[in-house]
Amino acid sequence: MIEQFGIVWHARDLLLEGLLNTFWLSALSAAVSLVAGAMLAAALMARNQLLSRATGVLVDSMRCVPFLLFAYMVYYGLPSLGLRWDSWTCGLVALIVYNSAYMAELLRGAWRGLPAEMLEAGHAFGFHGAGFVRRIVLPPAIFAAIPMLGNQVIQIIKDSAFLTIITVNELTHAATVLQAKYFMPFASFVSALLLYWVLCVGVERLVGLVGARAELRR
Amino acid sequence: MSTIVQTRRFILRGAGIAVAALATGTLGGIRAASAATLDEIKKRGYMVVATEDDYRPFEFVQDGKPTGYDTELLGILRKQASFEIKQEIIPWTGLLPGVDTGKYDAAVTAALITKERQQFLDFCSPVSDATVYYVKRANDDSIKSIKDLSGKTVGVQAGSAMLQALPQLQAMLEKEGGKLGSVVQYVSYPEACQDLAIGRTDYVTNTVINLQLLIKEKPGVFALGQPVAAKTYIAWAVKKGNTSLLEFLNGFLAAERKNGEMYALQKKWLGQSFEDMPETWTIT
Amino acid sequence: MTEYDWISLLQGALVTVSLSLAGIALGLPLGLGLALIRWAQVPVASPVVATLVSLLRAAAAVTLGLLVFFALPTIGLSIDPIPAAIVTLTLSTCAFNAEIWRGALVDFSREQYDAALSVGMPKLLRFRLIVLPQVVRAAMPALVNEMTLLVKASPAVAVLGVVDITRAAVRIGANTYRPLPPFLAALVIYSLVVFMFVLAQRLVESRRRRLAFA
Repeated sequence: MIEQFGIVWHARDLLLEGLLNTFWLSALSAAVSLVAGAMLAAALMARNQLLSRATGVLVDSMRCVPFLLFAYMVYYGLPSLGLRWDSWTCGLVALIVYNSAYMAELLRGAWRGLPAEMLEAGHAFGFHGAGFVRRIVLPPAIFAAIPMLGNQVIQIIKDSAFLTIITVNELTHAATVLQAKYFMPFASFVSALLLYWVLCVGVERLVGLVGARAELRR
Repeated sequence: MSTIVQTRRFILRGAGIAVAALATGTLGGIRAASAATLDEIKKRGYMVVATEDDYRPFEFVQDGKPTGYDTELLGILRKQASFEIKQEIIPWTGLLPGVDTGKYDAAVTAALITKERQQFLDFCSPVSDATVYYVKRANDDSIKSIKDLSGKTVGVQAGSAMLQALPQLQAMLEKEGGKLGSVVQYVSYPEACQDLAIGRTDYVTNTVINLQLLIKEKPGVFALGQPVAAKTYIAWAVKKGNTSLLEFLNGFLAAERKNGEMYALQKKWLGQSFEDMPETWTIT
Repeated sequence: MTEYDWISLLQGALVTVSLSLAGIALGLPLGLGLALIRWAQVPVASPVVATLVSLLRAAAAVTLGLLVFFALPTIGLSIDPIPAAIVTLTLSTCAFNAEIWRGALVDFSREQYDAALSVGMPKLLRFRLIVLPQVVRAAMPALVNEMTLLVKASPAVAVLGVVDITRAAVRIGANTYRPLPPFLAALVIYSLVVFMFVLAQRLVESRRRRLAFA
């Protein structure tokens, strides 16, 4: 058993490359989907009924789809419509589009929880439209939603594991390739799970730090 | 006692029993894992073998039923064996390691004999020839010979011997001043070929038998290239050291060669028969 | 798509729904048990459960499934594909359920508990009649949300060879080289299943609101 972990250490480059891919895919998609989610949330809360309803349908339908099926559709389905990207790009796009909907829903919930007086004061001071959203609504909404956003980032890290099935060389893919080559599934997958855990604990710590700063601000 | 409370109690009790039954059923699917020798198999009454779920024409699922060359050969064994043979159909990357960890007694699948695998597995008598070729898109004129593959993207199955054989292709390319392009690893070959048709990869390597079938099934989409690795054979495998089971399976396979059944099945599924396969084949 | 393709999609749907229901049925009580251990602060078990829950919540369903199915045999435990799928989904969801149950238990006001204690109610009765019904009502929305997340994580079982809707759709696409029709069909089926859970969630919430005003 111990030699198996020795082999993992010996072949750690493969695993670390997968870990790096997981990290970058998760970080990039978290950042971009947060921004896109903010814009979608603004559309959801817009006074224009058509806009808010249409966005609502989009966001709700994205939340009905399992991520793996969505990733498959982006990878194998889009080429039929002329859009053919490599697996990394497909994975990133899938993660971003998918999680933008969830981020939008989170931010909308936080927005609803904001005190009405603050929003009215913002309007009274002449903030409308994009400026209103960007400077009055988003900062407190995002800070209020920090724990939920942290959970969503953890969900992104876990969803990235599905991308192994569309050939993205992330952590689970690296672990699978490793165990197929050296015949040591236990050491391989246990190592992968521990690395995922480290990533997620890191996110939780970060969320705790940012949350503490948010409290200070308030 | 009111009927609402009674009904609720009844539902809760029923749910509790259902959950308990479910848990027992799930736990009942757990058994001790160790590669069984022939005697142990005979004593417990069944052997567990693993086949791949989508590797035409050797083993695949059609209309819900497992079929293919290996599956039919296994069917003959089923009729002759004194014990039950349970067939598990799983994705490729876990199959051979599963034999090594004792999850399966034998891999009844199209496994290419390679030096690396010989460290963990004992291969049975070969069941087919297995020279690895490459296939490209039929309308791709940029690839006419092996040296044109330099720098191009190749698709293979993760954990396959074709992936392990890529260094041989790399050596061939480097001899002519080229280099191996990037490698994309797929869960199974149908997905690799689908991507080749889409244009994400430039060529896919697989045994000539698989590729010939692919070209027949999808006329006009693909074209066969040249061999990219040294000749080897396809065989079933057992855990290294499981001599009793190895001899049992080899005995069966030798008998099927002698009575011509194996060659008939090869003609049916693989398109040709390989009468001059060696009885055993190890790479040194 | 041939007629048999439709049948295989529906069979895949059956597999998805039954595996999800099994995972939910086993994960709910298991999660409650783990939450109770932490709530009661049992000496040795409590921190162990905390670590286990933290590990499982960080574990992707695909990787966990691969571990359960392919890696456990190395320590002697071999599981068949369908039970392995159920075990994976159960482990994954019970960790989240444990946190949801724990949150509801912690939020539970101690006054009612102490009042029951002061009238001399035995421990088990206290729990069954006072704590449990209210905790169930408080946790229900989050639990139903977790159920939809389980259904959406269920395609992970494809790596074990179990043919659920996603794998059935992918197979059809890989054979016909026309992936969009089966994908869209699978999409519709998933939406229906998730929608039913969402409906159940709304029903539960409206009942809760009604009872709260009663």
